[in-house]
Amino acid sequence: MLTLANVDAVYGGVIQVLRSANLEVRDGQMVALLGANGAGKTTTLKAISGLLHADHGSVTVGRIVLDGQDITHADPSDIVKAGVVQVLEGRKVLEHLTVHQNLMVGAHLRRDRAAVKSDLERVCDYFPALPELLNRTAGYLSGGEMQMVLIGRAIMARPRLLILDEPSMGLAPILTQQLFDTIARIKKEEGLTVLMVEQNARAAIERCDYGYIMERGRIVLHGSRQSLEGNQDVQEFYLGMGAGDERVSYRDIKHYRRRKRWLG
Amino acid sequence: MRPTGIWFSSYAAEARILETRRARAWLGLLSAGLVCLPLLTGPWLLGEMTNLFITMIAVCGLYVTVGMAGQINIAQSAFVGVGAFTAAKLSGLGAPIWAVIPAAALITGAVSVLFALPAARVKGFYLALTTLAAQVMFPIVILALPMSWLGGLVGLPVSPPSLFGIGLGTPSGLYFLGLAFAVLAVWTTYNLPRSRVGRAFRAVHDNDSVAGVMGIPVTRIKIAAFFAGALYAGVAGAILAYLLQFVTVSSFTLFASVWYLGMLIVGGLHSPLGPVLGVIFVTLVQEGLHSAGNAILQSGSGLGGGEVFAASSVVLGLCILAALIFEPRGLAHLWTQTMTAFRLWPFPRN
Repeated sequence: MLTLANVDAVYGGVIQVLRSANLEVRDGQMVALLGANGAGKTTTLKAISGLLHADHGSVTVGRIVLDGQDITHADPSDIVKAGVVQVLEGRKVLEHLTVHQNLMVGAHLRRDRAAVKSDLERVCDYFPALPELLNRTAGYLSGGEMQMVLIGRAIMARPRLLILDEPSMGLAPILTQQLFDTIARIKKEEGLTVLMVEQNARAAIERCDYGYIMERGRIVLHGSRQSLEGNQDVQEFYLGMGAGDERVSYRDIKHYRRRKRWLG
Repeated sequence: MRPTGIWFSSYAAEARILETRRARAWLGLLSAGLVCLPLLTGPWLLGEMTNLFITMIAVCGLYVTVGMAGQINIAQSAFVGVGAFTAAKLSGLGAPIWAVIPAAALITGAVSVLFALPAARVKGFYLALTTLAAQVMFPIVILALPMSWLGGLVGLPVSPPSLFGIGLGTPSGLYFLGLAFAVLAVWTTYNLPRSRVGRAFRAVHDNDSVAGVMGIPVTRIKIAAFFAGALYAGVAGAILAYLLQFVTVSSFTLFASVWYLGMLIVGGLHSPLGPVLGVIFVTLVQEGLHSAGNAILQSGSGLGGGEVFAASSVVLGLCILAALIFEPRGLAHLWTQTMTAFRLWPFPRN
């Protein structure tokens, strides 16, 4: 469905963030993109959604292809039209608008009023807390409620590929669990493809079909869930388990870092 | 948000602008009063009221551009000027009023797009400067054009309007013309935020990258916001041309643009009620100070005209400062709070 081929992204003409990143998202998959802070995960997502310009960045080399169509330098609204909708990192609700208006903004490109209305009801069904909040100003919601609004708003656009940037950021573990369950349910019922960046590596790896691990702008490891779960490096650096399945002391991290196989 | 105890059982009731029967009754009373006003008063008040309506139309336009879409615009007075000159020129060529007003609106809109094209790519102070350029260029361009086009320094005369053989050149005729378009302007400003385009304006205002990922073409929406605001300015300009019967560049200054913004801010940037209340409040204060100044001059207190004029400007500035300090969200917010308190009485508001 979506392919990134040798993509380089540069901010301000000098700071190179992505170095020949390759990534593939197949139809119906849940793909996780993991990595440390500053690895270039968000930049990858922004490159896909055409949002790099807002940060004075651009894709300098490589191609981003969606269903055979080159979207490397397309306008963000055209990319949404093509069915790729991103939920940005952080609680980016439109804070002066009500929850209902926020959700309707998601349906901006759609003209089929009846279907929009039934989609609104479906979103309320996925997130049972929302109907109560419809007339509230979105800026006054709690973090978990905002995240629901954001995902609901993205669904209102009827995406084929949903891109989530750290959906669990700042949420309590129990809420994170619920959110991931809801995302899994939405993916199944809407027949979506999901590309997700997540710091909560364990939860992400457990639920994904395929995972990519990024480091310093490069994809350093990728594979199916089973192969990632079985990979010793992933266990050590992302799941916090030692070779013998016991926890690693963080004092020894430096030593382990030197041993990372994929850098050698 | 509505206070507890007010709810509706149908979607239509929920979506109404005037929610309660009492509100509708008050509006009916107000409109009856406005319609009957020409029977009760003389031409002076009617002229003032027409002026107020024209300002209200222009500030409603500013609300669309600045309040809803968040694109700062300090050239609204120049846009009103474009509308006025267009109307003067077209009516000089013999065009009837029903053609002149829409044409003035559209041409002003087109001119605003010319400035919005570069402006939509910059934000904040830079945007303010770009629109300032539009304001500054307006008189220069008019004066530089040949005299036979737009009258240059002298200006253009405007013949009194008539519609279907009825002369509208009388004070009451112009009053009703202003009233009709002011009602139209306020009605559209109230409904715009509830539409798809209005939501897009407000989304761009809140966060343009979020608007972008939701599929809203941000640049186009910003340009559309300028265009919509200028449509109002064009209508205001056309009616002003008919009212003044003579248009010159000196009527459309940066000062007036800043006043329009001031009225909008005093009224409230976040509610369509803002432009209405702001224009009424500032005009009342201005007129009150004006007549107070006249009274002082005539009372023989020995003060010169210059001193009284300066003092009244200072007092006007203080009034606006006070309004902003005590109600930074504008008179519209104060109004909503008062209404809520009134509904909840005798229970406390918070």
